Amino acid sequence: MGRHYLAIEQAYRDGTPTAWATSGTSVEMLYTFDVQPILPENAATISAAQKVSKKYIESAEDLGFSYDLCSYFKTNVGAMQNNAPIDLGGIKPPTFMVAADVICDTHVKWFQVQSQRYKVPLYIIDVPHVTSNTTNKQKEYYQSYVEEQMLELMDWISEITKKEYNEEKSREVITNSYELSEYWIKIFELRKTIPCPVSTKDTFGGLFPLFTMPGLKEPIRVFKKMYQETKERVDNGIGALENEQFRLLFEGIPFWYNLKFFGVLEQWGAIIVFEPYTYSFGKFLDPTMTKDYIINNPIKAMSKIMLSFWYIYDLETRVKEFKRVIKEWKIDGVILHNNLSCRPNSCGMYDLKQRLMEEEGIPSLVIEADMNDPRKMNEEQLKNKLESFMEILQKNKKQ
Amino acid sequence: MAYKIGYVDPSFNTPEELMMAANLIPYRIFGDPTIDLMDADKFVPPNHCFWARNCLQRGLNGLDKDIKGIIITHACDCSNREYDIWYSHVPYDFYYFLNAPLKRDKISLKFFINDLKELKFQLEEHFGAEITDKKLYEAINLTNEIRKLLKKISEYRNKGLLLGSEFHAIIKNAYKSDKKDVLHNLKEKLKKLEIKEPLPYVDGSKKRILLTGSILDDTEILIYLESLGFEIVTDDLCIGTRYFHNLIEITGDPIKDIANFHLSKPPYSTEHPSSGRFDFIKTLAEKYQVQGVICLVQKFCEPLLYEYPFFRDSFKKIGMPFIFLEKEYKRDSYKQLSTKLEAFKEILRGVKK
Repeated sequence: MGRHYLAIEQAYRDGTPTAWATSGTSVEMLYTFDVQPILPENAATISAAQKVSKKYIESAEDLGFSYDLCSYFKTNVGAMQNNAPIDLGGIKPPTFMVAADVICDTHVKWFQVQSQRYKVPLYIIDVPHVTSNTTNKQKEYYQSYVEEQMLELMDWISEITKKEYNEEKSREVITNSYELSEYWIKIFELRKTIPCPVSTKDTFGGLFPLFTMPGLKEPIRVFKKMYQETKERVDNGIGALENEQFRLLFEGIPFWYNLKFFGVLEQWGAIIVFEPYTYSFGKFLDPTMTKDYIINNPIKAMSKIMLSFWYIYDLETRVKEFKRVIKEWKIDGVILHNNLSCRPNSCGMYDLKQRLMEEEGIPSLVIEADMNDPRKMNEEQLKNKLESFMEILQKNKKQ
Repeated sequence: MAYKIGYVDPSFNTPEELMMAANLIPYRIFGDPTIDLMDADKFVPPNHCFWARNCLQRGLNGLDKDIKGIIITHACDCSNREYDIWYSHVPYDFYYFLNAPLKRDKISLKFFINDLKELKFQLEEHFGAEITDKKLYEAINLTNEIRKLLKKISEYRNKGLLLGSEFHAIIKNAYKSDKKDVLHNLKEKLKKLEIKEPLPYVDGSKKRILLTGSILDDTEILIYLESLGFEIVTDDLCIGTRYFHNLIEITGDPIKDIANFHLSKPPYSTEHPSSGRFDFIKTLAEKYQVQGVICLVQKFCEPLLYEYPFFRDSFKKIGMPFIFLEKEYKRDSYKQLSTKLEAFKEILRGVKK
């Protein structure tokens, strides 16, 4: 990731184009035009990890942004307001911004606010929402809609950067992105092994190149190495946890300011072996997106990714996929993070919990906190909840 | 007896005319701030839009038995995933999620036309009705007539002959009743207004305001504002001006005309770009010479919460008194706003009409 931030600094020094993008947006399109992507969400997690997100959030609230708004957004506003350095999550106004409502409409509002404040051009990709009863016919014209916008975005970027679209470059970028994702998914496949070779610490920490650098060669090498090491661990029967007793699924974005909290699970021999959030950045999960398809249809593939993102699955698909994961990854319990900053993700969580418990007999627990705002996490309360949950898992295992 | 289609729309992008042309009555589902949200809270976390959870609770409680299907229209995050909750827990045979686009350009128009055509197809399939261009234009002519009348009637707020709350109740009725009855009632109302003497309450001490905000569907909140001495002479709300500000232009392609109508309405906070909403409010405020702007927002209404600093600073720049109030969707909580509203009234005391 250091390489990514060095590239950002280099772009500002050289005066080459930079762009802010929301996660879920096609960062591949930016790399196609040699535009340096910057993901404010990623920068916000750095602020959290460096324990300064609270300060920036409060600074944004002083400007009038509500306590109830997204903590990534407020971290970004506050960091810029305070001229935060890059190693504390500070970023600068870019040449232009691209946002999409793939994950949430909040992304759109966030970039509207910041493009207005810093007078930077903004392009919005409107991605239709797929629901439990969306038909294939509907999905087809949804796909065309996104594609048409991608073509318009292409022209828009071309005008700003004074650079022509290059189909060859586009193929190269999407292929690199595909290969990067492939390693990620292969690592997840290895996590099916008992004991699980990598913990959530590795996946939450290793995730970022997938949305900041998809399209480059360097992260593929890193991911390949990560895969080889994981494979070695599997071959030698080495688990991330010495005495693995319980395998968990964690739904939602973690608390970036307190990742060490997950260490508390170790005392019960519990390990998180699957996170839909990190898995979703494997992106090419739609089975129709084969390597051949993406090479021959780079723009179509970029559009398809936005419509088939795991994180925004409709409730029925979400339940179906969770059931599959529970079976394949041999999950004993599910922890769902009702993230106070991410309403779209937490909506449907209660149904999900209920159905997993009723239909699969899987103990599930909803915990409440926030991804970037430490004020909204009650550590003691969470520990107590987890303790009770683990007791249930223990009883379950004995039966 | 004609059946109804209930629709939930945090903005106003639902094509009533399509339902009318299928011999169905479009019935906009409003919240009810007097009910308890015990069941909705089982499905949606409590930090989600109060209004949307309230509508869900109404669905869970059971809607009017004449309602035979549900449409939920995209506007903001609260409409998206809550659709699936409705779909799972409020049993109806007909469900449609209308993906009203975020943007207002040609590409979005083309997409919206496709989505409206699909809705037309599904309505025809499910209800066995043929939606012809002729029927669509009959419906369009009817809603256009209604809009023209509403526009005329709305002006009586400015003449001191009609309370903002009375007008709000009229619009609500227009959203949920058979449009033929609506037309008849509006004609009658207009006749009465044309011969009406100014109301005795117009005593000069009332403060003329423009009401804006997120969806405000409880007339009682307007009555409450009036009881505090505010006179709502105009608004830019969905249950208000946005419903009748434009007419559907007839070009020979009714679906396209309906789509065009919705994408040409005054800008709203759930759209992109949304900054034009301020310009529209400013134009209305100047036209109706209001003394101040009250922005009432449902608790957890994100699109408006993001806009607040921009609104605050923009109104300050033009010297227009402005107050932004977040409110719970519970009638007994309205009084909590009184201190801030009384203070705002004091500010307006020095502002010329």
